[in-house]
Amino acid sequence: MRIPKGLTVALLLLFAVVIQTTLFGQIRFISPDLVMLVVILLALTRIRPELVIGTAFLAGLLVDLLGSSLLGLRAVVFTTVAYIALRTRERAEIGRYATALWAGILTLIGVLLLVLIGTLFGQTSLLGPDVASRLLVVPLANLVLAGLLGPLFVRIVDGDTTAFRYS
Amino acid sequence: MVTQESRGRTLPLLVTLIIVGVLLMTFDVRLQGGGVVGVLRSGTQTIIAPIQKAASYAVNPVTDVIDSLSNLSNLREENIALKRQLAEADAALVGVQDQLARLQYFEQLYGMEASGDEIGRTVANVIGRPDAFDAALIIDKGTSAGVVVGQPVVDTNGYVVGTVKSTTHGSATIVPITAVRQALTVMVGNQIGSLLSQVATNEMRLEVLDARDPVLAGDRVLTSAVSASFPAGLPVGIVLVDAAPSIDVLSTKVEPFVVPDTLRLVVVLAWPPDPITASSGETSISDETTTTTTEGSTTTTEGGG
Repeated sequence: MRIPKGLTVALLLLFAVVIQTTLFGQIRFISPDLVMLVVILLALTRIRPELVIGTAFLAGLLVDLLGSSLLGLRAVVFTTVAYIALRTRERAEIGRYATALWAGILTLIGVLLLVLIGTLFGQTSLLGPDVASRLLVVPLANLVLAGLLGPLFVRIVDGDTTAFRYS
Repeated sequence: MVTQESRGRTLPLLVTLIIVGVLLMTFDVRLQGGGVVGVLRSGTQTIIAPIQKAASYAVNPVTDVIDSLSNLSNLREENIALKRQLAEADAALVGVQDQLARLQYFEQLYGMEASGDEIGRTVANVIGRPDAFDAALIIDKGTSAGVVVGQPVVDTNGYVVGTVKSTTHGSATIVPITAVRQALTVMVGNQIGSLLSQVATNEMRLEVLDARDPVLAGDRVLTSAVSASFPAGLPVGIVLVDAAPSIDVLSTKVEPFVVPDTLRLVVVLAWPPDPITASSGETSISDETTTTTTEGSTTTTEGGG
């Protein structure tokens, strides 16, 4: 039986949100942004670009609703990151390292946007202690995870076991 | 591959969603987290919280192992120090029990009764945090355990952590004092001042506007009776640098006792015991709005930190 793609994406996002807020919420020195990573990796799948951008917006909104910062902040950031990911996805299809690097750079853009827009809207809590290290650690963690799990993620979402098998 | 046609559709969609996002942010700023936004937040948290709780039970042993491994070098020293503290605490406990027995004896002797104004405490587990850039804590107790928006939160040692920002039936979100812009009204010695969070550091800035005496490094900073958000006398932090009044203003750095990232357990205080009475008699220090939900009604209280 083939699971609908929408349901797969929804379940993966829910899984990312729950693991992000529980497991990685308690281990602060390993702090990827799993939801942003899912949004970035969705750009590599065969899902229509408009749906990827819409999903990114909703995923950001969900994280905003679960947190204490402004509603719409992550929605704007994730949407922008998803758009850049869609525009640059060819660069990630070269190989595993390229996928990892691409996801890491997009995450860096995402967290910088988050801090920038958040600060413009008075969210000084985003600039809490260790902000500089977090600006580096989050993209690095996403880079590693994208390298390890990126191809598998695409295969699961597309239901295609041959996808992203680098030759 | 993104075709020219889909690019033509994604750009207007991106612009539309960014506009919607900015509008949402503006509404949230204007509504200060209340209204429709508050209802949306509460509704989402009500749905997700049970899953988070279940996941938290599953991942807690994993995080404990990782924490232990990362702190292995410090654990032995900490263990020795804790054993020494335990012995001291045991000795102190014997003394306190003796005093308590004497107190009960005198209360019986003079027919005295407890005033009933003890603050109710709800111990809660920290089950998660939204993400690496959000300092908020999610706890596993909500309105069903008597937790309401605006209540003060301390750690297990009684040190100030923050306040409850939003609640659901079975969970609540806590915002630490280091992550809010509103000033917290505090006392250092006999002087009243404001404690403000700072950007990119856990340290806070203490400002005393009507300063008469200097403050010294090591002085304890406590919550003030003037505060509308916290009961008086709770320890907040310690002064880091000596400071003397300049004309009548004093400013220095304060290190909070609590590092919110390391918390696993917190205590929510049922304070003020009677929110309506308390709000009518309070002195306002800064513009802060808290919403206190009682059975079947919602009261919005304008008060100071």
